Amino acid sequence: MTDTHSAAATAETAGAAATPQAGSGATDDVIISIRDLHKSFGELDVLKGISLDIHRGEVVVMLGPSGSGKSTLLRCLNRLEEPTSGQILFEGEDITSPKVNINKVRERMGMVFQQFNLFPHKDALHNVMLAQMKVLHRSREEAERVAREQLDRVGLADRADHYPSELSGGQQQRVAIARALAMDPHVMLFDEATSALDPELVRGVLDVMRELAQGGMTMVVVTHEMGFARDVADRVVFMEGGVIVEEGSPEQIFGNPKNERTRAFIGQL
Amino acid sequence: MTIPSIHSPRGVRRLSLAFIAIALCLTACLGAFAAPRQALAMDIVRCTGRPNSTDDKTVIQGATQSRITFEASIEEGEGVSALTLTIPPDTTFETEDLAVTLLTGPDLMTRNDVAYDLDVKGQNIILTFDEPLDEAGNLNIIVYGVYFPQAGGDMQVEASYRLADGDEHDVEGIPVIPVQGISPTEALSQWLEQQPWVQAWNANRFLHLFLDPTILVTSFPVVLNGFFMSVAIVALAFPLAIPVALVLALMRMSKFVVWRGIATTYVNLMRGTPLFLQIYVAFFGLPLAGIQIPNFPLGVIVMTLNSGAYMCEIFRAGILAINKGQTEAARSLGMTSTQTMLNVVLPQMFRLVIPNLTSEFITLYKDTSLLAAVGVMELVMYARTIVASTGSITPYIVAAVFYLVITLPLSKVTHHLEQRALGGKRRRRKARAAA
Repeated sequence: MTDTHSAAATAETAGAAATPQAGSGATDDVIISIRDLHKSFGELDVLKGISLDIHRGEVVVMLGPSGSGKSTLLRCLNRLEEPTSGQILFEGEDITSPKVNINKVRERMGMVFQQFNLFPHKDALHNVMLAQMKVLHRSREEAERVAREQLDRVGLADRADHYPSELSGGQQQRVAIARALAMDPHVMLFDEATSALDPELVRGVLDVMRELAQGGMTMVVVTHEMGFARDVADRVVFMEGGVIVEEGSPEQIFGNPKNERTRAFIGQL
Repeated sequence: MTIPSIHSPRGVRRLSLAFIAIALCLTACLGAFAAPRQALAMDIVRCTGRPNSTDDKTVIQGATQSRITFEASIEEGEGVSALTLTIPPDTTFETEDLAVTLLTGPDLMTRNDVAYDLDVKGQNIILTFDEPLDEAGNLNIIVYGVYFPQAGGDMQVEASYRLADGDEHDVEGIPVIPVQGISPTEALSQWLEQQPWVQAWNANRFLHLFLDPTILVTSFPVVLNGFFMSVAIVALAFPLAIPVALVLALMRMSKFVVWRGIATTYVNLMRGTPLFLQIYVAFFGLPLAGIQIPNFPLGVIVMTLNSGAYMCEIFRAGILAINKGQTEAARSLGMTSTQTMLNVVLPQMFRLVIPNLTSEFITLYKDTSLLAAVGVMELVMYARTIVASTGSITPYIVAAVFYLVITLPLSKVTHHLEQRALGGKRRRRKARAAA
């Protein structure tokens, strides 16, 4: 298998021409199309030409050693990092174009961070309400209703009035997921969502992510949780040195990695 | 009484007669009052209090030791056998050293002691002379140890005398003694001055110079005025400096070079030069440029602009100290940079910088003293005026107390807030570890 897809195809045709999906929930509709993406920090090239299509409803798990560029790739998707070159089409729109209103794009892309990044001066409920009111202009009542709904969904309905400092890491991360979900995103990006958690807290967060995947959410997940990748991923992408080394179904990547480096990485675990 | 009919000419005549009668009557009465005066045995010569103010040598103050000098002339052969002097109410006096002298001779230069019996009944000093005073002369009485009422006012001394034939007469036309009221603290100061322990205290040169109790109590209310002024200056300048500082801080972190340049230049200029110099430039430069701003608002403006520069750096550091993840999280939710700043960064920043802001408040409050140099009436300026008039450093010590009244509790609060900030972090870490 080659490590890139054809960059010539448009978003629509790319969807139709996409590689067959390994997972169950995915459709052929491409939601994100990454084309020859480069990112460098000064002299350091972190992404060296990434091309990847992500389909609606698909759960893509990115694996790879530290410094392989997976987090940078994820952060380029909502332009928290500005790509140096290349294109990202999101729902048919080139979001790397300077003309695009990135705030409008981000409304449709939820992101969950390794360090949770809850707003410490607001309780759980208001963490989830803030952007709904400011960005989606929902009324206070509507925002609160949605917030309580989402907190309930992540199992924290009874923690609504707790401040982040009063919550465990796992609870904080679930509030952060609720905060992102409250915006009704079309895609959820998870940037090592469980890496900062104590081992016993990881499970609660993974359970929420698993449910989300089963609900048909399009997810791009950077993680070190192999169990999660094996169970939940529709597709696993293995990155190293700023390029996609190998991609495939979890069965194939974990069971029969073709690339030597992938094999070495999986073998370490 | 029948009302005269205006129809008849007789009625008119009767009316004018009535007026004449009334006029005559009034004249007679005035004559009756005026006439016996010339026949009086004693005429007032003077009745004065001794000026006792340290500030004005002509002023008689209340609640301060003074004396009353009463002098009245006696006609020859009148035989005054007794005199009652009535001291005004609420005025205290002593009679041990009472001086009663009869001045006789052509120039009234001969002093004759008068033998008398003394009786004091309330405010009345009753002198019964052993021999009726027959010789022409002036009877001079000095009452010592007089304290007029603290509130002051016109003090009326009254006097009456008895002649040998037993007739009682009042001395007419005694002038009032104008007494200036003094404040309770001045009264307290006067009182303190009399106390032996205060005198012993003040005998120590050092204590007298730096902690004179009498000046301490008098300067307190005066310096209090300055305290209010200083607090007013800082209470206006501090809140005004906050938006100035915020705008400067945001400009300093702007993407645009011009904004950054302006703000950086301003901050460096204000922080790099002494406030004292800035005050001089504003207070002497602006009037020369034809811009007249009254002292107080100009003082507030200078303090605001100076403090704004320092606060700008506090805010900037505070904003930079907010985890980048906070901004990223807000931006990832689609919030604009302005929304992120207002709803996520600034609220956290303010919490973070409260201890530093409190320190800045303390500094600002202390720095208002520099405005004394250009004549703004604040704490030091008020203290200085008393220092100038008394020569004691005590008012400066009072001023120091007024600074400490604000700065010490605030330092305590700052310390507490800092401790709590640290404690909060520790608690959070512990919670995370425990969870």
